[in-house]
Amino acid sequence: MTTQPAEHNPVINQGSMADTPDGQLPVGLTLPDGEALLSVRNLKKVYQTDGGGIEAVRNLTFDLPKGELTCLVGPSGSGKTTLLKAISGLLEPTAGEVKLGGKLVTSPPKNMAVVFQEYGRSLYPWMRVRENVELPLKVQGMDKAQRDKVVDDALEAVGLDHVPRSYPWQLSGGMQQRVAIARAVAYQPEVLLMDEPFAAVDAQTRADLEDLVRRVWRQLGVTILFVTHDIDESVYLGSRVVILSSSPTVIQQDIKIDLPDERDQLETRSSQRFSELRHHVYEQIQLAKEGFRPDAAKAQA
Amino acid sequence: MRFLKDFFHIIALPALLIVAWIVWSSQSTSFFVPTLEQMSNAFSSTWTWNRMQSDVFPSVARLIAGLVLSIVIGIVVGLLVGSFRWLRQLMEPTMEFFRAIPPTVLIPVFMLLIGIGDDMKIAVIVLGAVWPILLNTIEGVRSMDEVLSDTSHTYRIDGIARIRYLILPSAMPQIMAGIRQSLSIALILMVISEMFASSAGLGYTIIQFQRSFAIPEMWSGIVVLGLIGVIMSFIFQIVERSVLKWYHGQREMENAG
Ligand SMILES: Nc1ncnc2c1ncn2[C@@H]1O[C@H](COP(=O)(O)OP(=O)(O)OP(=O)(O)O)[C@@H](O)[C@H]1O
Ligand SMILES: [Mg+2]
Repeated sequence: MTTQPAEHNPVINQGSMADTPDGQLPVGLTLPDGEALLSVRNLKKVYQTDGGGIEAVRNLTFDLPKGELTCLVGPSGSGKTTLLKAISGLLEPTAGEVKLGGKLVTSPPKNMAVVFQEYGRSLYPWMRVRENVELPLKVQGMDKAQRDKVVDDALEAVGLDHVPRSYPWQLSGGMQQRVAIARAVAYQPEVLLMDEPFAAVDAQTRADLEDLVRRVWRQLGVTILFVTHDIDESVYLGSRVVILSSSPTVIQQDIKIDLPDERDQLETRSSQRFSELRHHVYEQIQLAKEGFRPDAAKAQA
Repeated sequence: MRFLKDFFHIIALPALLIVAWIVWSSQSTSFFVPTLEQMSNAFSSTWTWNRMQSDVFPSVARLIAGLVLSIVIGIVVGLLVGSFRWLRQLMEPTMEFFRAIPPTVLIPVFMLLIGIGDDMKIAVIVLGAVWPILLNTIEGVRSMDEVLSDTSHTYRIDGIARIRYLILPSAMPQIMAGIRQSLSIALILMVISEMFASSAGLGYTIIQFQRSFAIPEMWSGIVVLGLIGVIMSFIFQIVERSVLKWYHGQREMENAG
């Protein structure tokens, strides 16, 4: 199936199986107890609607090691947003559990921040840029002097120190998403979840923002789960890529991105290894779209 | 230049109406249509400082008290009802029932229950003016943007902070629209509440003039009422513009883009 030479095979987890209530299922990378910062176990979400239940996520199991930047790719409608909402405690899973630092997540945890795709709807339009970044800290009770410094640093980190008094709606889409990132950075979370944050910005801005995320990640040592449907983006950004199947969602494959840490839009993207990895992820996504079910395939094997 | 143009726009229609009235009244022989001269005489002789103190200021004070109470009750109850689904389901039929009752028919009942003092008149104003604010606040809270709500949850902006920084400002455009409607209702009810068992007040004075066929004086009272209405809506506009600066700015941006 795969065209890669054996020594280049990036797959870390495809063959491993988990004993689950539903039988055996493919799982993502898992770590021994206590080593993972975030762990997702047998997560299932069925939306109850008037027309019956919609199974958005069937069964997901994976771990996020501390300090890693993991990308999650999956076809549209594969339950990526649902997964993030369950991880961030906004949505109660139908079955399974999410643990952060060993503690069960039942409501939004203190050390987690989320950046949503809809930047236009995630910033407070009645507050200026600075106030938007500052608000979570203010509510937390951080004192003014420290707050000012943290906010200044965050705005500078995203290159927005020149517009603190603008309202979000006066800014371009890319700049608004920068504000949302600055707010997350200022919040100083241990885990940062990003849900297709750049899907609605133009290509040039997008490249800039990708580099911004890598920079923030390396500077702050934060653990990032970055959701995207863009294959190139996932390979360029991640140190690991988790591929989701189509709905109802299970993990299709969990691969390691062994590109050098120092990434560059031109050089990295034109490197041999990048195109191999990209090719591999692309193939998997195609399989997912065609309805290949890793769970069914395993069951037959 | 811009200012002059705005000023001209504001003043043009009133000026035209006054001119039309002067022309019409100067030819009219009707007892009920006073001339400009009669009117201005009546105005200056009627609305003396004494009368302002005895009849206008108390009315305006009740109007303001009624409005402030309506705004506070409307927003507080609206926030509660809008936030909890079960409360909404519990309250909706009852609210519809009370809203359907014209506050004026309750005046006799109120007179028995609360007496004929200021309390009764303020209660009548509140009973009519609170509904637009209450219903708009509920709607404003309910139409909260889901992403913004999720964002606030993830940053743990909960409890009082959630009301203060998220719910209240996001419902503010609707709340303001409700208050705007309440202004005119409150003014009408201020007048009506003084028509029963009253011995002072703007509404009372106008009715007295009418009953004693003091027609120019009656008209001058109506002009005073109109002026109060204009001043009220002018103040409201200034407040609204500053409170909802972000909202108008955003809307302008969306329309332009
Ligand atoms: N609140 C809801 N009620 C019912 N069904 C829902 C709800 N939210 C999502 N779904 C359904 O669950 C499935 C997964 O949705 P989700 O938004 O998580 O996918 P996604 O991978 O984020 O998609 P996209 O790439 O379009 O953002 C879809 O079939 C969707 O219709
Ligand atoms: Mg989504």
